[in-house]
Amino acid sequence: MKRLKLTIIMIVLIIGVTSIVDAKLRVVVSYNYIADIVKRIGGDEVKVTPLSKGYKDPHFITPRPSFIAKMRKADLLIINGGQLEIGWIPPILKKANNPQINPGNKGFLDLFSFIEGIDVPKDISRAHGDVHPDGNPHFHLDPENILIVSRAIKDKLIELNLSKKEIFIKNYEEFSEMWKKKMADWRKLLEKFSGKNVVQYHKNFDYFLKRFNMKQLGTLEPVPGIPPSTKHVLEMIDIINNKGAEFIIHDVYHMKKPSQFVNRKTNVKLVVLPHDVGAVNEVTDIVSLFDEIIRRLLK
Amino acid sequence: MKITSYFIIIIALLITPIATFGGQGGSSDPFSQTKFVPAISFVMDFSYLNRDLGDFGSMGFEMPGFLPAGHTSGPLLNGEKGFNFNYAELSLFATVDPYFDLFTSFHLGEDFFEVEEAYVTTRKFPHGFGLKMGKFLSSFGRFNAQHAHTWNFQELPLVFRVFFGEDGLNEKGFQLNWVAPTDFYLSLGVELFQGENSTSFGLDEAEILNEDNGSEFEIEGADGPGLFVVFAKTSADIGDLIFLGGVSYAEGETRSISENGGNVLSGRSKIYGFDITIKYLIDSYRYISLQTEYIDRQFEGKFYEAGNPEGSEFSRSQAGFYSELVYRMSKLWRSALRYDLLNRNNILINGSGTILPEDMNRYSFMIDYSPTEFSRIRLQYNNNRYLYLDGNLKNFSELNLQLNFSIGAHGAHPF
Repeated sequence: MKRLKLTIIMIVLIIGVTSIVDAKLRVVVSYNYIADIVKRIGGDEVKVTPLSKGYKDPHFITPRPSFIAKMRKADLLIINGGQLEIGWIPPILKKANNPQINPGNKGFLDLFSFIEGIDVPKDISRAHGDVHPDGNPHFHLDPENILIVSRAIKDKLIELNLSKKEIFIKNYEEFSEMWKKKMADWRKLLEKFSGKNVVQYHKNFDYFLKRFNMKQLGTLEPVPGIPPSTKHVLEMIDIINNKGAEFIIHDVYHMKKPSQFVNRKTNVKLVVLPHDVGAVNEVTDIVSLFDEIIRRLLK
Repeated sequence: MKITSYFIIIIALLITPIATFGGQGGSSDPFSQTKFVPAISFVMDFSYLNRDLGDFGSMGFEMPGFLPAGHTSGPLLNGEKGFNFNYAELSLFATVDPYFDLFTSFHLGEDFFEVEEAYVTTRKFPHGFGLKMGKFLSSFGRFNAQHAHTWNFQELPLVFRVFFGEDGLNEKGFQLNWVAPTDFYLSLGVELFQGENSTSFGLDEAEILNEDNGSEFEIEGADGPGLFVVFAKTSADIGDLIFLGGVSYAEGETRSISENGGNVLSGRSKIYGFDITIKYLIDSYRYISLQTEYIDRQFEGKFYEAGNPEGSEFSRSQAGFYSELVYRMSKLWRSALRYDLLNRNNILINGSGTILPEDMNRYSFMIDYSPTEFSRIRLQYNNNRYLYLDGNLKNFSELNLQLNFSIGAHGAHPF
């Protein structure tokens, strides 16, 4: 009995001490691209834990019990928003028993709330597939939006740890300066595709295409989240043959067969593009994400 | 002139907000509260069943030692040969105020509307604690807290059915749970319940009438709350391999009155549960998962029947498990295999045992197709070896085509 008591006291002490020693701001984020931005702005003052892996379909992350443990200890939860996490964050967030990171509280940040969504559906019905009522949630593939959300992340980190304000501002300014230079490079590299037609498998790259003036002819999915039907694929092939297209864009997690079929029938180049940090080996951070997308388009 | 123009401006200002309201969606009610509508979801389950056995109800099937004749007069789900409207589930949930969230789930049949769950959870409890209050499915084990539409098969595992009944362990009370601040997942919880589950627990007093001489005697009831549950769950990941394990314990008063009121069990039951789930994620859509739950029930008490007001010493020690292997082959297709077994069935009356079957079992196989997250078509085959008629095992099989649809608020993807 005495030994049991002693063990319990020891455990409590160890837990208590570790939580005091670890003074870094603990940030849990849904996706890897957010983790990289937080690391760049927070530097050594934050400890970032991404929940999902970059090579997975962001709509269908398996809500693991270990996510509950991660959220339980978090000071801040940052989500992509736009209902991209609707299927997996709510139940684990509820089970984490961490009031600080609940929506509406100080430790919760929804990045989509800073973005002007595109493709906001007028008619919200699941007859149109996996619709997101606030618009397409894959906003982070527009590099301009990265600037907007990194500013929001900087402001949030300052709010949570005012004493490190200078560090966060300095890191943010360095990042945004570097980012603006990169954007100018990317714009130059993609100039030759301006006005060109593009087909996608899923509506992943709409923000990217819009930013760089590429025109979208349609998607191989008849409606978001519904696998391509033969009829719809044949229609898309007709459209491509009539109007011409530069690329068929495919992601890393869907089966490539339908896109390969269209590629064979039309001879339009099929490019598999990473959508997040970690989607392919070459993409290790937010900069190489865009570098790699553009390298693959130019290849 | 000046006064009239001021007057017109004032009138215009007064009218404008009303006019704008009228323009937006036709509501001119400044007290409109439609924005406060809670999240609503609705699930419906419909099936076609074939079974190579006559009508359940008219025949005296039993599961000796577990469920007496009459209790097995047909399961709630897929009761009839042919078409079955199994259930509809209506859920409403929203945040109450800064302190509470409220979740309700109503279970609807063709002629019943029941509150399956209605509970609040706390929003502001510190240090990883959470409190749940109301009527809800106990967190005992792994399967119990899951709603029917997330099950991998059409019906509950046999061991849950015989120990907790068709509705599972669903009770009024509260739960205090705690998530440890560890790197791996560790959650501990206690629950205090009224303890009215009629299969293993219960509080009611009873009267037993001897029809021969008209004498009757009373068996005392128990006061609520009569049941407590403790549980611990833990989980760890090795890359895309996920382990989840749990131990649970339930102890409470038992007053089990037979359907015809002819006999009564009175005493205490202790139930031990062990569960383990191993899941391997192959990619974003495909996975293989193995889930097993072992449950052991111990009862000590008395058995009363007509003419025996003193009661007989009665004890039972029973156990069973299920094991299911699920393979999700693609985003749309899954298949699964399940084995149910009740492997221990010892009953002692006044110290002497009765001979009872010890290997009641069931094999199930299912394959399902989900065009989207909101619809599912499932074909399931069951080979059942657990029903007895006049002491003889009745082996029977079932083939079931089940349709499940949900609308409204997006449900979470289950783990």
